[in-house]
Amino acid sequence: MEPAVSIRDLAYTYRGQKGPALHGVSLDVAQGEFVVIMGHSGAGKSTLCTSLNGLIPHFFRGRMQGEVLIEGRSTREGKVGEFAKDVGLVFQDFEAQLFSTNVALEVAFGPENFEVDREEMVRRVKSVLSQVKLEGFEGRQPATLSGGQKQRLAIASVLAMEPSILCLDEPTTDLDPIGKLGIFEIAEELKDRDDVTLIVVEHETEETLDADRIVVLRDGRIAADRPAREVLRDVALLEESSVMPLGVARFFREKGVEELPLTPEEGLERFKRLGWRVSPERHGELVEADEERERGYGEALIEVEGLSHRYPNGVVALESVDLEVRRGEFLAVLGQNGSGKTTLVKHFNGLLEPTEGSVRVEGEETAEQGIRRLGQRVGYVFQNPDHQIFSDTVFDEVAFGPKVRGFEEDEITERVSEALAAVGLEGYEEEDPFGLTKGERQRVAVASVLAVRPDVLILDEPTTGLDYAEQRSMMDLVRRLNEAGSTIIAVTHTMWVVAEYAHRAVVMKDGRTALSGTVREVFGKEEELRDAALRPPHIVSLGNSLGHTVLSVEEMLGVTEGG
Amino acid sequence: MDPFLYLDRDTWVHRLDPRTKMLLLIGAFVLAFLFVNPLYGLGVLAVVLAFGAAAKSLVNLKRIWFILFMIAVMTVILWTVFGSGVSPLFWFVEYEALLYGIGAALRIDIMIVAGMIFLSTTRNEEIVTGLVKLGIPYRFAFAVSTALRLVPTIAATGSTIGQAQRSRGLDLESGNIIQRVRKNTPLLIPVFVSTIRSTNVFSMALESKGFGASKERTYFLRLAMGRRDAVVLLVFALMLIAAVTLRLMGYGGVEGFSR
Repeated sequence: MEPAVSIRDLAYTYRGQKGPALHGVSLDVAQGEFVVIMGHSGAGKSTLCTSLNGLIPHFFRGRMQGEVLIEGRSTREGKVGEFAKDVGLVFQDFEAQLFSTNVALEVAFGPENFEVDREEMVRRVKSVLSQVKLEGFEGRQPATLSGGQKQRLAIASVLAMEPSILCLDEPTTDLDPIGKLGIFEIAEELKDRDDVTLIVVEHETEETLDADRIVVLRDGRIAADRPAREVLRDVALLEESSVMPLGVARFFREKGVEELPLTPEEGLERFKRLGWRVSPERHGELVEADEERERGYGEALIEVEGLSHRYPNGVVALESVDLEVRRGEFLAVLGQNGSGKTTLVKHFNGLLEPTEGSVRVEGEETAEQGIRRLGQRVGYVFQNPDHQIFSDTVFDEVAFGPKVRGFEEDEITERVSEALAAVGLEGYEEEDPFGLTKGERQRVAVASVLAVRPDVLILDEPTTGLDYAEQRSMMDLVRRLNEAGSTIIAVTHTMWVVAEYAHRAVVMKDGRTALSGTVREVFGKEEELRDAALRPPHIVSLGNSLGHTVLSVEEMLGVTEGG
Repeated sequence: MDPFLYLDRDTWVHRLDPRTKMLLLIGAFVLAFLFVNPLYGLGVLAVVLAFGAAAKSLVNLKRIWFILFMIAVMTVILWTVFGSGVSPLFWFVEYEALLYGIGAALRIDIMIVAGMIFLSTTRNEEIVTGLVKLGIPYRFAFAVSTALRLVPTIAATGSTIGQAQRSRGLDLESGNIIQRVRKNTPLLIPVFVSTIRSTNVFSMALESKGFGASKERTYFLRLAMGRRDAVVLLVFALMLIAAVTLRLMGYGGVEGFSR
């Protein structure tokens, strides 16, 4: 049978770019297959997606070589609209692709364009909304949905065109763990249908276990194209490709095991079969080290008492929250989208003021200090660096904070070079920040906050949109800052980042603190975490099922006896 | 923030056909322009507000009360200063000029309020479908609705960016006018960049959903002019005729005003 997608020797160079985004890519996807595409930032994943429905070469400008055949027909031969019926494409940025005033109309937009008659449209709206578990949401405004629901709606709006090929470009990047799971449940159902071919770009390795095949891209070329479990066992390949290997696989590989188990369940079974055990003494040392670290913190920097916040539209975002952050801590704030985490931390630098209760920073009420003075003590790095970068050079961007605070020329230069050194961007002073990669722009944003020398650094989703290598280097940077004396508060969905880097975690749920304690304590309570829509990383689950919470592969190796 | 002004309420105003509402909107504009005497203007405003109240949509006026207020104040000041009348009030201000100023302010505010009520009670898609039924090409109608959507979206992005920059120490409140304008650069550039980026994704999503794929398209929304539309239009038409007659008879102006 003819493959659903057949890519032959595809090369593509965007106009104005020196190197090609893709070269020599050949790939066949059979009808009904579920293929996951992984790879580092800039490896060509999105380019590959947009070449499937003809956005490349028709929408983008650039040079294309080779051919993409969709069910035998070359994308060069028709307009994007003609292929849109066969190839459904869902983009990572779900906010920008939803534009209707209610859910039903959003879903109907595609069919409308293809002259589907109304009765059929009504049927399709009903059927795809039930596929993505949004029944009963027909009349809701997309803007009022949660992140996971929005992404599911984006998928539904494409499914309504009944494409035979569905391509999702990083559908879970901005979602909390349970939101991610919702997307993968949909993927799983689609996978079971023989008439739908599923192509998903994903960077979270733990979510790719169900795929038939994994294609790893590296620098625009295919580095591997093999059955999913085979690729996932190839820890070295993944690491070289800046893709995070599975924790369980990595652990067993370090122990020299052949035929690596992949999931916590498989890991547990193998662990027992091999007769290994967790040493309670060595685990005790880990707990002791946590306590030791806790004793080393300084005075309370941020004290939150009975904090409630009501937005002007009446929505209660926080309800009687108590929290203390001490000097030198590394606190992770976790929770589902809309659980109040961002609202909470926006109180720390004065962006929001309490409706009830009090927030004190260094002993003084935030409401009395005002955002400008608080900015000296509490720096806030927003999630999207593009929401703050505006200067022509990296130097000017980083110098903005010190400049508006009226420091002398020499002082500014010194602070800028200090901040750039801290984020590893020495020598970038004269670069144009808009020309940098996302990871680098993120660093510029951090540097621009560091240049004010705040005591506390708040990071909102510091790793979103970065690949594994970039996430590592970003978090290593944050850890260095913490060790150099900065108090860190990170709002994040990325669980392994919390496990490996944070000291303490607060879990928000419906505006209240559901859990709070050392990361080890919090991640030991899987049940409660699941209630708050969170899931610890695989290696932590493995440890938990053995009765001892470990936070990284290294810790697991340290506490394991035998093998 | 909600990028739409539309309020999803179930009222008879909401259930009117979008074409009816468009006609009503135009009618409201005519009414507003008919009378400059603020007494009559207040009457028109009362009709418009009654409509808004029936549509349970007056809450949206809260979003723009400041704009309404500023426009009113500026208009009154300008007309009182630059217009002239026959009966001196105080200093160099004449009674007629003040009256005319208030009337002119009412005119503008009535139009904004009427427009706001229209947008609060009519879905973007209804506007598109309504325009198409009135013979406007779909692409053009879609462009209108996209423009309507863009403004609040940019405002929402702007608010996030404002928070980010204020966190870095941006202070928009101090300094003279020129300094303040220049201080907006850290806001404007990121707003510009972000808007272009999301617009790019938006247009890719449109293409990928087959926008413009075929010459014709079908519509999920069904529009039908019903008896309710007929009654409302009839009542409104009578009102309009009465108003025009009144004006032709010489009521509702400001005697003795000149520029």
